[in-house]
Amino acid sequence: MKRLQTDVVVIGGGSTGIGVLRDCAMRGYRTILLDRADLAQGTSGRFHGLLHSGGRYVVSDPESATECASENAILTRIQPEAVERTGGLFVVTDKDDPQFGDRFLAGAAVTGVPAEEITVAQALAREPRLNPAIQRAFAVQDGTVDGWQIAWTATASARQYGGQALTYHEVTQVHHDGSQVTGVTATDLKTGETVSIDCHFVLNCAGPWAGRITHMAGLPPVAVVPGRGIMVAMSHRLVNTVINRCIYPADGDIIVPIHTVCVIGTTDHKVTDPDHLEIPRQEVQQMLDAGEDLIPGFRQARAVHAWAGARPLIKDDRVAASDTRHMSRGMAVIDHSTRDGVHGMLTIGGGKLTTYRLMAEHIVDAMEEQLGTPHPCRTAEEICPGNEAGHNYLITHRLKQREADRMESPIICECELVNRSMLVQLLTEQPQASFDDLRRQLRIGMGPCQGGFCTSRVAGIAHEQQVIDEARATGLLKLFLEHRWIGLWPILNGDQVRQTALDNWIMEGTLDIAHLPSPDDVEPDPLAPMSPDPRTTDPTSTTSPSPDPTANPEVSSRSTTTTNRRARGTRAASKETK
Amino acid sequence: MFESTSHEHNLLARASLDQCVKCTICETQCPVMAVTPAFSGPKFVGPQAERYRHGESVDHSLDYCSSCGTCTLVCPQGVKIAELNSVARAAMKKDHMPLRDQLISRTIMMGAVMRPVAPIANAVLANGAARWMIEKVVGVHRKAAMPTAHTRTFASWWKKHTPAQSATAGKVVFFHGCAGQYFEVETSIKAVEVLEHLGYEVVVPPQGCCGLPLQSNGIFDTARGYVKTLAERLNIADDVPIITAAGSCAGMLKHEAHEIMGVDDPAVLRVGGRTREISEFLLDLADRGKLPLDFSPINLEVVYHVPCQVKGQGMGKPALELLRLIPGLTVVDSDATCCGIAGTYGLKKEKYDVGQAVGKPLFDKVRDVNPKLAVCDTETCRWQIAAATGAKVVHPVWLLHQAYGLS
Amino acid sequence: MTDTIIVGAGLSGLSAAIRLAQAGAKVTLFTFGLGGIQLGQGTIDVLGYSLAGSRPTPADTAITDPFAAMSQHLTGHPGHPYATVPLASIRDSVDWLAALVPDLLTPGDGVNHMVPTALGGLRPTYLIQPSMTWSNPSSIAVVSPRQIKDFYPRLAAANLTKTAHVDAHGYHIDLPARPGEVDSSPVAYATALDRSDFARRFVELVANAIADEEVIGLPAILGLHPDTAESIARALGRPVVEFLLPPPSVPGMRLNVALTQRAKDLGVRVVIGSKVTGFTSAGAKVTGVVVAQAGRDQTYPCDHVVYAPGGFESGALTMDSYGGVRETLFDLPVVGATAEDLITGDYWADQRLFACGVAVDSAMTPLDVLGQPIYTNLHAVGGLLAGAVRWTEKSGDGIAITSAVRAADAIVSPGVTPTTNERTR
Repeated sequence: MKRLQTDVVVIGGGSTGIGVLRDCAMRGYRTILLDRADLAQGTSGRFHGLLHSGGRYVVSDPESATECASENAILTRIQPEAVERTGGLFVVTDKDDPQFGDRFLAGAAVTGVPAEEITVAQALAREPRLNPAIQRAFAVQDGTVDGWQIAWTATASARQYGGQALTYHEVTQVHHDGSQVTGVTATDLKTGETVSIDCHFVLNCAGPWAGRITHMAGLPPVAVVPGRGIMVAMSHRLVNTVINRCIYPADGDIIVPIHTVCVIGTTDHKVTDPDHLEIPRQEVQQMLDAGEDLIPGFRQARAVHAWAGARPLIKDDRVAASDTRHMSRGMAVIDHSTRDGVHGMLTIGGGKLTTYRLMAEHIVDAMEEQLGTPHPCRTAEEICPGNEAGHNYLITHRLKQREADRMESPIICECELVNRSMLVQLLTEQPQASFDDLRRQLRIGMGPCQGGFCTSRVAGIAHEQQVIDEARATGLLKLFLEHRWIGLWPILNGDQVRQTALDNWIMEGTLDIAHLPSPDDVEPDPLAPMSPDPRTTDPTSTTSPSPDPTANPEVSSRSTTTTNRRARGTRAASKETK
Repeated sequence: MFESTSHEHNLLARASLDQCVKCTICETQCPVMAVTPAFSGPKFVGPQAERYRHGESVDHSLDYCSSCGTCTLVCPQGVKIAELNSVARAAMKKDHMPLRDQLISRTIMMGAVMRPVAPIANAVLANGAARWMIEKVVGVHRKAAMPTAHTRTFASWWKKHTPAQSATAGKVVFFHGCAGQYFEVETSIKAVEVLEHLGYEVVVPPQGCCGLPLQSNGIFDTARGYVKTLAERLNIADDVPIITAAGSCAGMLKHEAHEIMGVDDPAVLRVGGRTREISEFLLDLADRGKLPLDFSPINLEVVYHVPCQVKGQGMGKPALELLRLIPGLTVVDSDATCCGIAGTYGLKKEKYDVGQAVGKPLFDKVRDVNPKLAVCDTETCRWQIAAATGAKVVHPVWLLHQAYGLS
Repeated sequence: MTDTIIVGAGLSGLSAAIRLAQAGAKVTLFTFGLGGIQLGQGTIDVLGYSLAGSRPTPADTAITDPFAAMSQHLTGHPGHPYATVPLASIRDSVDWLAALVPDLLTPGDGVNHMVPTALGGLRPTYLIQPSMTWSNPSSIAVVSPRQIKDFYPRLAAANLTKTAHVDAHGYHIDLPARPGEVDSSPVAYATALDRSDFARRFVELVANAIADEEVIGLPAILGLHPDTAESIARALGRPVVEFLLPPPSVPGMRLNVALTQRAKDLGVRVVIGSKVTGFTSAGAKVTGVVVAQAGRDQTYPCDHVVYAPGGFESGALTMDSYGGVRETLFDLPVVGATAEDLITGDYWADQRLFACGVAVDSAMTPLDVLGQPIYTNLHAVGGLLAGAVRWTEKSGDGIAITSAVRAADAIVSPGVTPTTNERTR
């Protein structure tokens, strides 16, 4: 067992937790962040990638609108590499009420969100694929943002101030003596080691999982209501500007061009378990219809992947519990000293990625209020490491880089233009990384072929670098393809069917990967369901005859493998992807 | 906000990138990729790089694409790879078009300028020192194949020409193209004489350049104007086939104007649908049993090479099938992807070696089979093969002309 | 002489074209792009696994005698393409193909061969190229140029130790296909290795890299020319075995070139780059196909059509965004298309979608929902046929060749091949 001492433990490595880690560290607290998975693997990696201008909220939530407008400018400055200044349009389609545009403009004026009406012709000149039947259009300063890059560079900043982020560390206990928090126990999922951390303060930033943490601390239940939303990524940027439907917030009201894809989102359904996020085909249909309203022909364009995220909403009495969209997305802070008589713990809910820094500021202020040791917050002033050049992301960046170095290092992921030296460098830094960990940092396997061509290369290179042995290489290769499938099968249609068939010809037909030996549990799977989900029983399991386990000893091991795989495969969308 | 050449306006080709499944077929067939690592290949600069473009083309190596169109032709998924590349190159070159690319793209100007002083022009082009100067100043490789200018044009022949027999088979428009007007006058004459021999009334309206050389060099605006003007001139009646011996210009009219430059002009579309390369037209007659097969034998073995731009029209190799109807003639299919000239690509000093390497298998075959005569449908390919091998390279209609006893 | 139009230039289209041309038919083959042979492994599969609906796992046993295993396999797979033909015709058809390209495919000996893959697995297949002979060696040196990004000899060797119980070692050599290249394609190597100067350097480096292993394993890059692999083996003085790579497949290209050339030599008119977008019909006969050529649609009349466009990988079968499954040219009924759960969340399960396809009789004539021929002179072959997930069971090539041969024979001698199904399903 490992024992650590610190001032503050942050639970949850999403954007909120990371923002808090950075802020605490910058204010001089010794701080350790724990997450049972990788950084930003939950909600912060499973949204559509919008950096709000505030336009979305000018009518429905003016306070959020104003916050978004100012935080948009701050993130664009302190983490420029993660932000693309695409600009945004709010368009009134032929199905929408043109009067809403007047409310939109009035709201924008009141909230200080820059917005300007442009002609339909101007909007179409800017985005030729836009529905020519739109009635009105408003230009705003929406951008797009890579949630993972936000997480890493903010973490890097925190590290400069002594902050630590321990990923794949699952919290198992939160200790208090009845009136004061004393520490946290966690398990290092990659090594199995128990880690015990003494601390004075716990900041529960577990988002949709926050209720589990308060439960672990033996505190009265906190009503977290995860709102599931699905997103569908199309294989290339059909638009280069964020396209919002100019209506009161609704399902399928936005298309976001982020990196090489564009993402349509989203839906909103209350779920009980954020580990079980389905991507129902019916909701995919709803997204495609919504896309068609904004971009005619959207249904014929190529969908490459889908994912679902859970909004970390805290129940608000003003709206019905089932209507998660209209709960406050501003943050809610629960102070367990006033609520439950236990000092040294705050639980945070709500929020959105655009305002993650501001949320962290408020939380750390609340902590310092309890501690009585106020310090100024400087997170809005200081630029995060790796962003010193001050350049915002441009879609052309990687192409330009590969044009410069393609004669020096082979391109491993051809869709997302990842080369061998990028991969080797990351493998050296993170020898324990799964291929999904690599993916989130490099975008490997996220393009149209969804790993069909690059995954075996990654396995070969990782093995060659002596980072992993052949069993783990094969196991990670299989696991990566299983995980890609989670976001593929719900949207499979059109061009992506052809890709899947070719990928299967390669993986099964030529390489016959299913018959390569590999361990059953190659990687800790922190997001695996605690028990099989009865809603998603595999229909084939009832019709296919099970092998007789007594027939030979090898067969019984096969049936074990099969069970594991089925469990993973039916876990629907609980892996974020895009 | 966006120029008319911007990618956003080329939705036709851009949408097709969705169909790419990364299968590598285009890469295995690309003649340029086969001879130089400097070109990152059609899949890379086409559907892959296109996902990273937004109004600018930062991958300058795409200029190594010769626009031969092989990638589009072999793609089983329908990705308009070559078209994507052409548009991307146009965007890249918009602000810094080399003088050379502008100069060699204007065929009419070159032909018209060279014609009145043809002997001098030919002497200059044949003169090594002068060619060295041209390479330095203009960027055309000193060894590159250049056309031979003639003192008479097709038009001057046509003006004095009267058909040998009266027409019985209906009317056709003859589209001679720039080369057919200035450099390949014999080919035009033979094509007209064959058509008249078959009983057609040949009409030759005034015409101009189709814009192909400009298009292949990324100069779209001028090219669009050229092709529209040409189409209006050729569009004399809706039911009259337009026959040409300029195979690559036929490709421009048939589909490239629309697919690469986004031209939707009705005259262009109507003319495109009626344009036939002469071999295509004659083979269709043969397939329907309407082509007289009273050929005199030609006892020869020759290589026939189908140019990329004829292959790209998706009609197979009609000249090959047609020539095989001539008794005594053994026609060997070159089975080569490209001769390396690709319009004007192989003329350029930085591409000359690439072009020669691309064409090498073809040149070897010509030397092997018949070093004196080879057959090919388009003029720049003929000049390239002739310059590399020393063989006389003729349009297929020359052999048909001879087999019909017209020469 | 009959006029037959073939649509598609994959293994089934080329097989049908050659078979028909051999019988004296006038054949025109239309293909939109290059056929898919060079995307496959370059061997001929007949049947490699029979998994009876369960997911494939490392514990599965490969089939040794595919013809002996066939009856039982078909019992578990009603509606399988092989179930529409007499069993004997499968082996006859595959043998016929092998004889077409004798220097490229070893003659069939009735049993499957195991061939090594890039990842170090051994995969069953029926006809192999001579360079792929796996002789159950006691030791093997797996060697590759560092500049190939689809082959990692140390990983292949490590896996082979387990899958083939062989003492395997991986080695790299440094030899770009072209000077200065860091990323050379298998095709660039194959072209280079066809030249003796490059082959000599390659052999020298390989010989220096390895120890005294019994056999040398190399990525499948050993020349586009069929003789190159053998001459490299001779120079190395040890048996050489080629490992299957992802596309582009050099062995597949060899096969594609050889079969295409064979078709052309037999007078098949091959038209590439034109999509067949429609057809004309009169009653129960297809009278012509409509080809979208540059600038216009052209109708080609014909007496027979062999439709060999491939399956879902080519887009001949599609699933639209509403989940509707269609055959795109003749709008033939797709068997299995309306079943529930065509696609499920289990990556390792066969997706039912990929077994959807066209049902045919023993002359490969597509059938309507009542089991009646739709167009009597239309024959559907290859990847289009319903009833098999080919990449799992490793059966695609055998299905393609057998169905093509059956279709061609039915066109040439309509009386010989019964037009009703002689096997009861």
